[in-house]
Amino acid sequence: MKSVLVTHADEPIGRRIVKTLYHDDEVTRILAVGDGPPPRAFDRFLGGPDPRVLYARVDLARHRPVSDLFHSGRFRDAEVDTVIYVPRHGAAAETGAPIAAGLPERTAEARMVLQHGLETATVRHLVALGSAFVYRIPPGNANRLDESSELDLDPEVPAEIRSWIDCDMIFHGEVHNDRLRVVLLRVPTVVAAGGYVYLHPFLAGRPGPRIRALGYDPICALVSDKDVACAVRAAIHSRRPGIYNIAGMEAVPLSVLARWTRRAALPLPGALLSWLSASARLVGASAARVGSDGPHLRYGFTLDTRRAERDLDFRPATRIGLARAGDGALRLETASV
Amino acid sequence: MTEMLPGNGAAGEDLGDEEGGARALGRDPFADLAEPDPFAEKLELLERIPRLRAAPPPRPLRARRPRPRPAAEEGEPPPARPLHRRWAATPPVAEVDLPEPRGLVDRVLGEHQRRVLASLGQLVEGEASYDRYGFSPSVMRAAFPAFYALYRLYFRVKSSGHENIPSEGPAVLVANHAGLLPFDGAMGVVDVSLHTDPPRLPRSVVDKWAGTLPWINVFYARAGQVIGTRENVADLLDDGQLLLVFPEGMDGIRKPITQRYRLQNFRVGFIEHALRASAPIIPMAFVGTDDQSPILYDVKPLARRLGLPVAPITPTFPWLGPLGLLPYPVSYRIVYGEPLRFHERFGPQGADDPRLVRYLANQARRAVQSLLDRNRS
Repeated sequence: MKSVLVTHADEPIGRRIVKTLYHDDEVTRILAVGDGPPPRAFDRFLGGPDPRVLYARVDLARHRPVSDLFHSGRFRDAEVDTVIYVPRHGAAAETGAPIAAGLPERTAEARMVLQHGLETATVRHLVALGSAFVYRIPPGNANRLDESSELDLDPEVPAEIRSWIDCDMIFHGEVHNDRLRVVLLRVPTVVAAGGYVYLHPFLAGRPGPRIRALGYDPICALVSDKDVACAVRAAIHSRRPGIYNIAGMEAVPLSVLARWTRRAALPLPGALLSWLSASARLVGASAARVGSDGPHLRYGFTLDTRRAERDLDFRPATRIGLARAGDGALRLETASV
Repeated sequence: MTEMLPGNGAAGEDLGDEEGGARALGRDPFADLAEPDPFAEKLELLERIPRLRAAPPPRPLRARRPRPRPAAEEGEPPPARPLHRRWAATPPVAEVDLPEPRGLVDRVLGEHQRRVLASLGQLVEGEASYDRYGFSPSVMRAAFPAFYALYRLYFRVKSSGHENIPSEGPAVLVANHAGLLPFDGAMGVVDVSLHTDPPRLPRSVVDKWAGTLPWINVFYARAGQVIGTRENVADLLDDGQLLLVFPEGMDGIRKPITQRYRLQNFRVGFIEHALRASAPIIPMAFVGTDDQSPILYDVKPLARRLGLPVAPITPTFPWLGPLGLLPYPVSYRIVYGEPLRFHERFGPQGADDPRLVRYLANQARRAVQSLLDRNRS
């Protein structure tokens, strides 16, 4: 039996994870925390005299609220033994984003959660969701990457990706911890029914046109939010710590993904893109909006998920594609197979 | 009996709650849950009005029946389960349902070629129509007539030894590389696709430099070529696919006319991967490619300055501009040699011995050189 804490449960991936764990009978209690008010989707979970799901607003980037959370009576009574760290979605760690303790918020949150997970005696298992954009992407339209592929430690990487790398390395450092079993799941672009896209440095964030590199159309590995939730569930029941790539069955070019998610992608020559990106950095604009000249706009990757198949017994069970909705419009849909 | 020390919970310091446990420190973020519902009073008022009764509270979802999980003891994790890998496969040409001819592509190609394309199209499943390396059957179908015309009319390819290509499972075609522009790879792909049944799509392993070129990198990927990284090659062989490698690399295409039909040093990575994946190595010789763009001189300082692998001077380049890079209409002859089954003798552990790997790479080089020498005459 598990009692779990889910961070950023008010955001789409967190919501999906809470929903999946709610239907898992081995999970007795779910403490969900997030920045905002409880999502409407939780109404059914939060009802009843002794709900299995409790929700609270906690600013995970600051020490005091996180400390209060891990020392709270509810946390202690629930005997939480598993922490699921769902990161902040979208382009949060860009220049100008909130900085906590000198770090981008996402990095500060990862540090706080891990530190308190290590210090709390009941917590024995930590599952962290990371991004697969931490890898150094070799030249080419599509390259296969496995867990031992090199990380992109180039100091020139965009701030958004650098925060992912920082988070990754924070958890990576505790993978061999004897007391706390740390599982790090690296996921590529996450899509959800309706055309929503998360964790992609180019497409995530508010809808609107994007600028991409002319002459390049990199392949993007996709995974549905349902498969991510299934992978998290598999990870909390697994007793194998480690780093695992998680991906779905589909991989499509960036232009197709932009079309599926209803974002216009305007191709620009490389030189112009570099100039625009540098100018945007100077004025503090988000790279996700104006584009950046990073390798992720030129080179694509797909993920080798054999380790997750072998150790976590995870297999993607959702297909992603366009389907005609009731109003006749084609929309991105995810369907179980 | 433990003595209570002042400051550690002695008299006067109540650190326990009602149940006797440790008291929660700080503000409980879940404490808000215990506060009275501000809407409760209004709901009571609403419930007194029969016609405007408030909606019942949402019913908690019913949990599913628990899935039986194998009972496991804490401590050592269970042993990892072996993966069942399904090899990528295409249906035999005779079993392919051929749709009615439509469009220019179908009019240009014969029935066999259309059947081959239809069979190769089944390598990719699902909505996306791209495999994990960006291969797109629709792009291949659109580009195939042009390359087939080059194959039949321009290079007039003749080939032999197809029986040496295994019909399934991992295998590595090892070939010589020459001719400035990699038409040898394209002709090799067309030849293998047309002469294997079920049709096999050889995945040409290309240099990383090609992956940096705009448009070229996209076309290569859509046509089924892959960049030669360790992960790509290992994954493809593990998936039972057929690789076409040019172990000479860039040294092959920039060799001068004086080195014609003389193989350059082979890289060794393909041997390591073939041993690990238990894949046979099939020597493959392209006769004619060394004559398509004879390089008189390679201006290496210029190539370095421009970031190019080669800055050639040929009888036609740069005198005719970019047109001078086009290959001469030489006749190709493609020969497949007998498979070298190094894995049967040395096993996967042989890949860890650098001297053995170098020796086997030289053996493969000799086999290709021997094929070249025999068929040139």
